[in-house]
Amino acid sequence: MIDLREVAVQLGGDATQGVRFSLPSFAVAQGEHIALTGPSGCGKSTLLNLISGLRRPDAGSVKVAGTELTGLSEAALDRHRGQVCGHVFQSFHLLSPFTALENVMIGLRLAGYRRAECRQLAEAALDRVGLAERRRSRPATLSVGERQRVAIARAIAPDPPLLLADEPTGSLDATTGGEIFDLLRDTAVEAGRTFIMVTHDEALAAAMPQRFDCSALVSAVSREKGAAAA
Amino acid sequence: MSLCHMAWRYVISRLPVTALTLAGICLGAALVCGVLVLKRESETAFSREAALFDLVVGGKGGNLQLVLSCIYHLDVPAGNIPYSDYEKLRRDSRVRWAAPLGIGDNYQGHRIVGTEVHFFDLTDRDGQPVFVLAEGRYFEEPFEVVIGSEVARTTGLGIGDSFAGTHGLVPVPGSELHDDFPYTVCGILEPTQTTQDRAIFGTLESVWLIHETEDRLHSAIQGTATLKRKKPRETTAVLVRLRYPGLRLAVADEIRQRTGGIAAIPLNEVMRLYQGIVAPMQQALLIVAAAVVAVSCLTVLATLLQSGERRRRDLAILRSLGARPGQVAALMFLEGGLLCGMGLSLGWLLGHGTLALAASWLRESSGLVISTWAVDRAELMAFGLMALCCLVASAVPAIAAYRRPPLTDLSLDS
Repeated sequence: MIDLREVAVQLGGDATQGVRFSLPSFAVAQGEHIALTGPSGCGKSTLLNLISGLRRPDAGSVKVAGTELTGLSEAALDRHRGQVCGHVFQSFHLLSPFTALENVMIGLRLAGYRRAECRQLAEAALDRVGLAERRRSRPATLSVGERQRVAIARAIAPDPPLLLADEPTGSLDATTGGEIFDLLRDTAVEAGRTFIMVTHDEALAAAMPQRFDCSALVSAVSREKGAAAA
Repeated sequence: MSLCHMAWRYVISRLPVTALTLAGICLGAALVCGVLVLKRESETAFSREAALFDLVVGGKGGNLQLVLSCIYHLDVPAGNIPYSDYEKLRRDSRVRWAAPLGIGDNYQGHRIVGTEVHFFDLTDRDGQPVFVLAEGRYFEEPFEVVIGSEVARTTGLGIGDSFAGTHGLVPVPGSELHDDFPYTVCGILEPTQTTQDRAIFGTLESVWLIHETEDRLHSAIQGTATLKRKKPRETTAVLVRLRYPGLRLAVADEIRQRTGGIAAIPLNEVMRLYQGIVAPMQQALLIVAAAVVAVSCLTVLATLLQSGERRRRDLAILRSLGARPGQVAALMFLEGGLLCGMGLSLGWLLGHGTLALAASWLRESSGLVISTWAVDRAELMAFGLMALCCLVASAVPAIAAYRRPPLTDLSLDS
């Protein structure tokens, strides 16, 4: 499902100075669930963004769902992301002028679904996350937990083969965070979906079948010799 | 949910800014609309009326004054010409139609025009009659009058009603009332969409009778009656239609040399008035309107740029959901397009609607009859140009949205 090889990304400065992300290899099979862990700034989100195509590598190969992303145009990359990835963010990233239902429908439209299908799928997704009654509410009137549920509904509504979650419980209290994690995992299991989650929460990471430690992905590059230092 | 629907929702989600931007575009468009319609309609009305006559022959004075006073009933004529001059003109083989005009009195501000009944035989350049009776008949006897449609509407006069004229061309308190010589309405004209709708037409004979009688009365009071000889009869002006419009200059020159009066070509005078006074004023107004539109376009640009900046995170979210760069650019462009479309449409409605509301006031105050809802090529071009400016203003933030990578904006706070 996911295969990254010899990936390098310059995160700041240039080739002689700054921060460099290097990943010799990373592979996830279809249906696997994996937690990306490590301290802040270690490159967990960078890895997630490389998989979703939101970031392009400076070197190496990123293959997702059989498509090599590095050679795709910007538009093709966006289209691929819409069709393959469901993305859940820490700060929900809902569009404030739109209702919960519309937020989910927008995701479906951008994933290429026809207008007639969108409402049906969006309502089903909101029903799945327990927000059928609040589909006409705008994000500002929802609790933080409900907002994240809408974001999950938006991510799973197009039935993508890959679900990416970047600190999905980071803005939530422990109880709500646990509920959200369960929801993410359950929806991924139900659909046989590959599920990759960035988390700082040891308990949540431990609840995932696999864990990938990102601690050694980012290194500082010195001016003098370009030697890497952890 | 289509991009159009999304754009609309974004537009209404910031209602106060949207309303102010719309107001700017709307006022600019309404101003352009108003200036263009008034320019077109006044030009049309003036030239349509001026084109009915090839020459106006009158006493010495200014050509424009003669045209304004005898065709548009706006100014005061300078002097009279002998009636015999009119008779000579009517016999001239180059003249297709000529009618004398005797003016000097009014009724409630409407000029009483003494003429001859064949005045109503006047046709436009297509041969269609200018005057058509709505009710009654044309005058046959002195002190019978045919009134224009506007006179009937504003004074309430009907067939058989009588009234007395007042000396002078405008109603002035204390003016001499000719109540010994009441007029009787015998006919009412259909609207002609010209200033003739505001005139009252009677026989020239009745004008002479009133003023000769009053002259005699004044002379008797002053004790000079026996010293004065009876004056030859005069007319204020003669309106002339020639067999061929190409003869205008030659006949006008001949009249100037042969008689003591002047002969003005109405179309030339109207064009001179336009080019000298009206056109520069209209151009100045158009420049003001264009400046308002330019400011409105800049407002659209500023609004969209500001909106684009505030919405960088939203646009990045859309990109993360699979929106292509072209789609987010289209979304921004559509927002601008919606603002411009609504602003220009409301401006068009406001401009034409205001003119429609002001139409009756314009007709009463100046005699200008305007087709308020008609759209001509100049207006289409002006609106096309305004739309183009607005769309260019919308394209700037759209291009910025197209070029911006989504990743950095995703971390912006909502």
